[in-house]
Amino acid sequence: MILLAKVAIGFGTTLAVAGAYTFHQGVIRVDVDEFRQGGSHVHMWVPAAVVPMALRFVPKHHLNHASMEAREAMPIVRTMFHELRNYPNTLFVEVADGDQHVRVATEHGALAIDVTEKGEEEVHLRVPISTVEDVFAQLEKSASQSDIRGGKDEWN
Amino acid sequence: MTHRRTTDRRIPRPTRSFANYFALAAAAALLLLPLAGFAQTSSTGSADRWLHVRVISSDNRGETVRVNIPLDMAEKVLPAINKDRLHSGKVRISEADCNGLDIKAILEAVRTSKDGEFVTVQGDENDVRVAKQGGYLLIHVTDKSGKHHLGRHMNHSDSSASSDKSDKTDKTAKVQAVSARESKVEIKVPMKVIDALFSAGKDELDLVAALHALSTYGDTELVSVKDDENTVRVWLDSKNVAD
Repeated sequence: MILLAKVAIGFGTTLAVAGAYTFHQGVIRVDVDEFRQGGSHVHMWVPAAVVPMALRFVPKHHLNHASMEAREAMPIVRTMFHELRNYPNTLFVEVADGDQHVRVATEHGALAIDVTEKGEEEVHLRVPISTVEDVFAQLEKSASQSDIRGGKDEWN
Repeated sequence: MTHRRTTDRRIPRPTRSFANYFALAAAAALLLLPLAGFAQTSSTGSADRWLHVRVISSDNRGETVRVNIPLDMAEKVLPAINKDRLHSGKVRISEADCNGLDIKAILEAVRTSKDGEFVTVQGDENDVRVAKQGGYLLIHVTDKSGKHHLGRHMNHSDSSASSDKSDKTDKTAKVQAVSARESKVEIKVPMKVIDALFSAGKDELDLVAALHALSTYGDTELVSVKDDENTVRVWLDSKNVAD
């Protein structure tokens, strides 16, 4: 009985720690609503901690291609998101034009993008800043590794 | 007592003390985690300087654009951009861009001169005023070309008017329309910012240095444009939201 209790406590603690770690990184939220007949309604909540882990399973050639495409923007994105950490709750851009409304802000340490067209469609996106940083760090790493491999190939 | 002795025998002393320290550290970390989060949130210093841009269109749709940029962030992000003429926070300019003018020499002359009005033009279509006042370079331009055309159009319609009453109504409408058609541009730039902007070299504008110089100033209205279609404001303050 005591052994069973110990196992239960161990399992519970592991679950709690795993849960705390997963949600400590925040949640990626995507909400898309199209208010027309047959329009799509997508509501997705993904723990942000999953993304860097999932990136490890992406085939290397896909990752290399993505990193090559984003190479020019990488230093800018890295610096920008690093700085965004200092502004956890800030409105950066807001455009309102009739029924259309676009908003780019940070909310509780997450990048928040809202696009609303009254009666037509609504898109809400929340991505933790740390997740974007992690993703770009992995892309940069992949780019540098492919550079080294490229250099070796040239040498050979 | 017997039970405690048994436990003591099972776990060697160094391991036990390590377990104690670990438990203490874990408890402290759990306790301090929310405080760390709070510290991060409140680290956005109140002394931050923000550049705000606001564009309000006066058309029926009421288009509004609001941009708020922390100067500190702009100072750090700009050097990371290396595209076309922008490199390491500096923009390359050629002589062709300046129409053969030696802007540096002109600015040096303005900088060393005393406060006063340098250019005053009062014309039929434009009023221009360039002055230096209290360490600021002021440029005011009033474009009356819209007013001019509208005036002509109104005069033509005047001739077709018959009664005095309708003349009066027309005049009031004309005055309102004229002021609406006039476009005004007011630019106020600290001289230190201009100095910093041209501090890089002859063919370069140092944007980062200019932003850094700008961040040392208090609340300042830098650009104001008003015409019948748009109102544009660019200003500097310490609030992270536009009013």
